[in-house]
Amino acid sequence: MSSRRSREAPRITDDQIIQLLSKLQQLLPEIRNRRSNKASASKVLQETCNYVRSLHQEVDDLSDRLSQLLSTVDANSPEASIIQSLIM
Amino acid sequence: MHNSSQLRKEFIKKWIHGLQICCSSKKHMNLMERKKKIKLSADIALASAKNATTSWSKALIADVKIDEENMILINNLSGPESKFVGAHDQRVTCHKRIRSKKILKKSCGVGKRIKRMGSRRSDLATCIAERLVKKRTKVLKRLVPGGESMDEVTIIKEALDYILSLRVQVDVMKNVVNATGVLD
Repeated sequence: MSSRRSREAPRITDDQIIQLLSKLQQLLPEIRNRRSNKASASKVLQETCNYVRSLHQEVDDLSDRLSQLLSTVDANSPEASIIQSLIM
Repeated sequence: MHNSSQLRKEFIKKWIHGLQICCSSKKHMNLMERKKKIKLSADIALASAKNATTSWSKALIADVKIDEENMILINNLSGPESKFVGAHDQRVTCHKRIRSKKILKKSCGVGKRIKRMGSRRSDLATCIAERLVKKRTKVLKRLVPGGESMDEVTIIKEALDYILSLRVQVDVMKNVVNATGVLD
């Protein structure tokens, strides 16, 4: 039943995929610095995976640092009241 | 259609709200607990700032909802629940559909592979390239929330948007950390 429905959907053209991949390529820090249009699909995908992983790691590290900073705020300082009113 | 300054504003608003909810409930948390809450509220804030316009954001919220403890945050940050309802169920049924398709494909593919073995060397290079692309697409699907149930074109579109949103998240978090560091 459901497979018949999906067969009626418009076929995805190679051009569409190439376009999307080139957009992705623009975002990646590694490939952008080299000559454009030279990266293969698998290279773009690999760099995308690496980039997403590194962004995840950055979010994790920043959460760590923020947690440490918030816990070391001296409760009596004027700065603490600013942070407290803002975040806590 | 990615408006990053709009996303930034929404994200900052929601994240600060989330942090207030999390950090006010328990005064004395250990580092690990606080870090988890910070990260969680950042992720929920980012996903709900997308306002249910992308699959990855819906999938992220659906994943987070599995843990009942997170409901307070979700309800406060994402507003009307109806937008995200059903995303989890959709994925479960999608999974079943894809699994049965995969079994079918595998049984049909064996005959094709035997035919292919007899053809020329240039086809071998294409074969390897295709395999690499498939392998990498699989990995990407695991990294993007909700990626398992997406087809090849959708995963690339979602990955594009996901990367842009993650960048906003990292940028804002960096600024907050620097500002907090200066105040200390």
